Amino acid sequence: MIESFTLAVIGAGPAGIEAAINASEMGIKTILIDNFPLPGGQYFKQMPKDFHPSSETATETEGTILLQKLQKTDVVKLNNALTWAIFKEEKEDSWLVALYGSECPKYIRSKFLILANGAYDTPIAFPGWTLPGVITCGAALIQLKTQRIAPGTRALISGTGPLLLSAAAHLIDAGVEVVAVCESSNIFPKGFKYSFIMLNHWHRLLEGAKYMSKMIMAKTPYKTGWSINGAHGNEKVESALISKIDNNGKVIKGTEVEISVDLVVSGYNLTPNTGLARMIGCEMQYYAGKGGWVPIRDDTMQSSIPGVYIIGDCAGIGGAENARLEGLIAASAIAFQFGQISKQEVNAIFDKIKPQLNNQKQFGDMLSDLFSPKPGLINLVSDDTLICRCEEITFGEIKNAVARGARTIGEVKMITRVGMGNCQGRMCEHSVTAAIVQTLADEFISHNAIGKYSVRPPLHPIPQSYLAQSAIDEIITAQ
Amino acid sequence: MKRLIKSGSLLPAVQRGPLVKITVDGQLIDSYEGETVATALLSAGIRTFNLSHNQKKPRGLYCGMGVCYECLVSINGVHGQRACVTPIESGMIIETSREFKV
Repeated sequence: MIESFTLAVIGAGPAGIEAAINASEMGIKTILIDNFPLPGGQYFKQMPKDFHPSSETATETEGTILLQKLQKTDVVKLNNALTWAIFKEEKEDSWLVALYGSECPKYIRSKFLILANGAYDTPIAFPGWTLPGVITCGAALIQLKTQRIAPGTRALISGTGPLLLSAAAHLIDAGVEVVAVCESSNIFPKGFKYSFIMLNHWHRLLEGAKYMSKMIMAKTPYKTGWSINGAHGNEKVESALISKIDNNGKVIKGTEVEISVDLVVSGYNLTPNTGLARMIGCEMQYYAGKGGWVPIRDDTMQSSIPGVYIIGDCAGIGGAENARLEGLIAASAIAFQFGQISKQEVNAIFDKIKPQLNNQKQFGDMLSDLFSPKPGLINLVSDDTLICRCEEITFGEIKNAVARGARTIGEVKMITRVGMGNCQGRMCEHSVTAAIVQTLADEFISHNAIGKYSVRPPLHPIPQSYLAQSAIDEIITAQ
Repeated sequence: MKRLIKSGSLLPAVQRGPLVKITVDGQLIDSYEGETVATALLSAGIRTFNLSHNQKKPRGLYCGMGVCYECLVSINGVHGQRACVTPIESGMIIETSREFKV
């Protein structure tokens, strides 16, 4: 017997939790599905339940309040449940959500869907990026904040965006020597034109200032217009080569410096996690400032498929505050569609949060203008650099495929096997696209022409025995 | 790659869960219930979690949040488990540094 809900929210981060709370309070039968042991997503990531910190940070307190609010609702919460597919059931006019986990049902059914799958660090390839000791900004912050472990002793941070400052400050706080923070964008003097917007976001300014002061006290250089060129080492990272880069992301010869480190933190802003949206066929568009491919949505966060809403960073990078507002909008829109609230009520909610939403949009646009990874960063790789980590496909092999006539990312995939491994292309799509653009530089080929990876079930690797058991269960139920 | 003991201004000290023993590549190692397998391995100085399946090159933690599948290890005989998202349980038997296909 498959349990039915009016709304299934997939992803229990700031967007998903806010959506689930509001939908439930408006009388919608809601289930909140998440892949991790505890809800919170990456932004409100909780420590393991046996861990007790001596005090909480402001963000942790904000998360605790939101999670307590969630506890008081009727939302059915499924943790440790990995959504590996979503199927449309034409007859029932509903969605079948397929789950993998030791303690969750194999399927649930829902009339409406909210996808709130968040984002991950944009993976940028450079020589040596597969060596143990090269980790993303997100990985470093999770290790420090929720696991309380220093992931190295001497670190180089390279990438773009404000998360680099957070990573630097937390590493320094943990006693790690941070030899440099290389910010690939030249944010000065461009950044000054945004001073007015920043004044509306004083809490973020304060946070940035706190991180900066940590770096100044530790004498950590913040090198804008610099980037890592390569990580070197035998079995693990032993040193990193850094250099100045020009506005296209190309290395400026003669500026290279080799530094001995045992940790490289790479953080090039975030990429929306759009796997489920792609799988069910939501229309997508390429929007570099929002992190890459994002679903097309209307003002109520509804995708091109009626009844499917997409919110938070998985619909375009906008941050946690924006994600929560989008959660409220989507929940209200569904409650209205389902007849739980009136047109007046839903309009009143939208009008009330409109100024906040605009404020968030202004801030998001500023960040994407200042910190989008430069397309020229692909110039950091050499022919033998792995672009697809899973299938171990090099930049040279991708160039060859293009030389043989491949023009779309799908064709490069068919020829080389890029994107066919365990990560399902999440780690290489950005770099493969950049490699095709670079190889065809004379043709000025667009992202729309290159296209994106198609996503099919299963979204994540799952054991065959699990699928087999699902099939057996179905036969038994049918009899 | 050490567990943090002292309080910092951003990272207050934390009381960990129960101390448990796990087996990593045949050796008994101390860990704390609830922390991830990746944390336990890194704290024990292990950075190579597996070898890539074509070139047999060392791989370890990368994305840290379950999306990249670079940190796969074998846990209690089941291969291809993500070390970064799997919580430690007492008596776990973990094997690293072999080829893991999911």
